[in-house]
Amino acid sequence: MVDRETATEQVYQPAEDSHLLAETAAEELAALPGDARVVDVGTGSGYVAAHVGEQTGLDVLGVDISPLAVREARDHGVGVVRSNLLDGLTGPFDAVTFNPPYLPTDPDAEWDDWMEYALSGGPDGRRAIDPFLDDLPRVLAPDGRAFLLVSSLTDVGAVTARAAENGLAAREVAEESFPFERLVVLELAHAE
Amino acid sequence: MNESLMDILCCPLDKQDLELEVVRRDDDEVLDGRLVCTECGEEYPIEEGIPNLLPPDMREGAPA
Repeated sequence: MVDRETATEQVYQPAEDSHLLAETAAEELAALPGDARVVDVGTGSGYVAAHVGEQTGLDVLGVDISPLAVREARDHGVGVVRSNLLDGLTGPFDAVTFNPPYLPTDPDAEWDDWMEYALSGGPDGRRAIDPFLDDLPRVLAPDGRAFLLVSSLTDVGAVTARAAENGLAAREVAEESFPFERLVVLELAHAE
Repeated sequence: MNESLMDILCCPLDKQDLELEVVRRDDDEVLDGRLVCTECGEEYPIEEGIPNLLPPDMREGAPA
């Protein structure tokens, strides 16, 4: 059993990216009916799921691969499932949010703890983003929308191209600039 | 785990429906039990209210 203090150090805590995604998604999803199905992938501490839930009154499910993250999110009142990305979900979801690991990392680096795993985007920063985009059309409702946080460090053009390969249209709905990167929220929907 | 989740969960291996076996529950949710794939028979544990839908080879240990 991992003690709670260690666990918190091993779970990604809300930062600028989490806030941008949470606020954008809460605004965009405000008009959804109360029984809409919403899932927050890679929920970590559960911050995005909890914030969107509080602001919209919707029930937001949190999903994470880390056993420490799902426990912490549940402690924050978020209903959780432990799953790798969308693997154990069938949907259909009216909305999906995802603040992925997006920092490009040394290919030789080893992920020997859950915090590194939560941050490491692999050599191109898209280790988690690419499989997410490949599987998203399966679980997204016909008029569903996903909100994906990406960084200029992740190559927004490459993310948009991967989405298009999967029949998804991407558009930028929010952005915030920092000294070394620009954070962007992409809205993804089935292309017409 | 709220039972209404059964509608949106599936076996991560073959995406087929799961069957819920309850071991312990309270007024709100299932606390301990199992989700069993109706197709391949793989079992996914529910512990302390949290269903674990990782495939068996990903279930234990640190990230790989």
